[in-house]
Amino acid sequence: MTAVRTGSARRHPILAIAAYTLRTCIPGRRRIGILIPCVVAVLFGLLVRGLDDTASRDFAHNAVESLFGLVMPVTCLVIGDAVLGAEVRRGSFTFTWMSPVPTWQIVVGRFVGGSVVAAASLVLAFGLSALVAGTPESVGPVAVAAVFGAMAYIAIFMAVGCIAQRAAVWSLAFVFLVERLLGSALSGVAQLSPSWEARAAFVGLADAPRVLERGGIPHGGAALVRLVVITLVALLVAQRRLPRMRMAGSAD
Amino acid sequence: MSSLPPPPARLDPAFVDDATVIADSVSVWFGQKVAISELSCSFGPGVTGLLGPNGAGKTTLMRGITGLLSVNQGSVAVNGLDPRRDRRVYDGLALVPEDEAVPLGLTPRQLCAYVADLHRIAEPHVVERALDTVELLAVADRSMDGFSKGMRQRSKVAAALVKDPAVLVLDEPLNGADPIQRLHLIDLFQRLGDEGRTIIVSSHVLHEVESMADRVIVMVRGRLAAAGSHRAIRNAMDDVPRQVLVKTEADGRRLGAALLKIDAVRGVTVQDEHIVISTMRARDLSVALPRAARDLGIRLTEVRPLDDSLESLFRELVR
Repeated sequence: MTAVRTGSARRHPILAIAAYTLRTCIPGRRRIGILIPCVVAVLFGLLVRGLDDTASRDFAHNAVESLFGLVMPVTCLVIGDAVLGAEVRRGSFTFTWMSPVPTWQIVVGRFVGGSVVAAASLVLAFGLSALVAGTPESVGPVAVAAVFGAMAYIAIFMAVGCIAQRAAVWSLAFVFLVERLLGSALSGVAQLSPSWEARAAFVGLADAPRVLERGGIPHGGAALVRLVVITLVALLVAQRRLPRMRMAGSAD
Repeated sequence: MSSLPPPPARLDPAFVDDATVIADSVSVWFGQKVAISELSCSFGPGVTGLLGPNGAGKTTLMRGITGLLSVNQGSVAVNGLDPRRDRRVYDGLALVPEDEAVPLGLTPRQLCAYVADLHRIAEPHVVERALDTVELLAVADRSMDGFSKGMRQRSKVAAALVKDPAVLVLDEPLNGADPIQRLHLIDLFQRLGDEGRTIIVSSHVLHEVESMADRVIVMVRGRLAAAGSHRAIRNAMDDVPRQVLVKTEADGRRLGAALLKIDAVRGVTVQDEHIVISTMRARDLSVALPRAARDLGIRLTEVRPLDDSLESLFRELVR
């Protein structure tokens, strides 16, 4: 039974929106969508354990290619779309939109809610992956890079949700066409990619071989700063675009 | 906003004098499809029914009024504010959307509390009162995921009532509600209208709109087809034939023959004591009919229009 709150106990809108996002935006099917890549992350860790080479170097390879290159974007895509785009498509975003709360508070509240889910899922999965791989010293770097990378991804996918009607499709295109395809070839694109930046941050923080890092983008702490900048710019775009959205709803 | 103010209500029934919601030359299109075309009307305190067939543009107009989509041309003002530009408008504006979707995993109480949080409503028990008004207190702590369509609609109405709106826009609010709940909700909307709130209701169940709306706005293919009370609209449609059923105590053939001589009568169908009169001028008929019956010494037991409902009006307008 939920306690009946009275006026004096009203939460700040940002907290209310973040709590609402945590509660409503990750329904059953999406939880599975998050769980699968997280389980895959742990399995990648187990694979590393089976290799002959030194565990730490193998885990670094695994983290760069599998965890930050695949698990993190897919997990964040599922969560990032749920945070805004899916609610707009379903028509239930009107309950949040039709309030006098400033748009920046809506964006921040949604971002906080989505980031908490994404960061918690990824830190747990990546941390376990590092542990089962037999490299407990990698837990810290992989967790830090995952948190910053997840925040950048959630902000980007929210911005995409504010720009495009088919947010999930465009988000998928961003990950696989822009980041993976163009980002591999053009360092200018990779500099704006949470995946590439998170890899570089991890390599720097874990003191892994620089050969794992993509050239032409910041390294270690500088990559983390770049991820923060990407996050802020994406949130600003979302805040600017949100009032211009056409919230057609599921009936249209 | 347009530089020209809307015409006074006494000149154009699409407008009211004490307007709280004004749509001025509004056009909305989605790609090649024009959803609303040059629509101008206003809404004031009381219940106004928004009628039209599927695709008429009712939902689009409601979304334009509530700022959920921007109009391509023209302007919308709610309490003097542009709902797309000024978020203060939502202090007194609520929408019950047609979509069945409610926030996943939430209970009605949590949804109402969320709305109260967003509006920083300090009044205690506001959530309880809203839930009680729509008779959802008994299931207030059950997840809405398993609710029927009618219960979801009532949950959304409760969430709208939490903010005590001056303007309440309801898109097909009676969908899925059982007959008792329908009556209860109709009574609620009328009561809110009587309190001086602007209530805009769209529905396909025309007789319900007829029973709750003081005023009707009819949209057809994105355009304003008619406005006013349903009876006033009907009277204004002089070129539309109407049918009147007359029951007599005697054989109707004598009266039928006499009625055919009256200019206002276009045709008569007689079956025993029942006469169905087709007329283009109902007002003239209302004078001529009793006179003809009196002259023939025939007592009329019932006179009633066969097609004076919104259903028939709607049929005529979209024809």
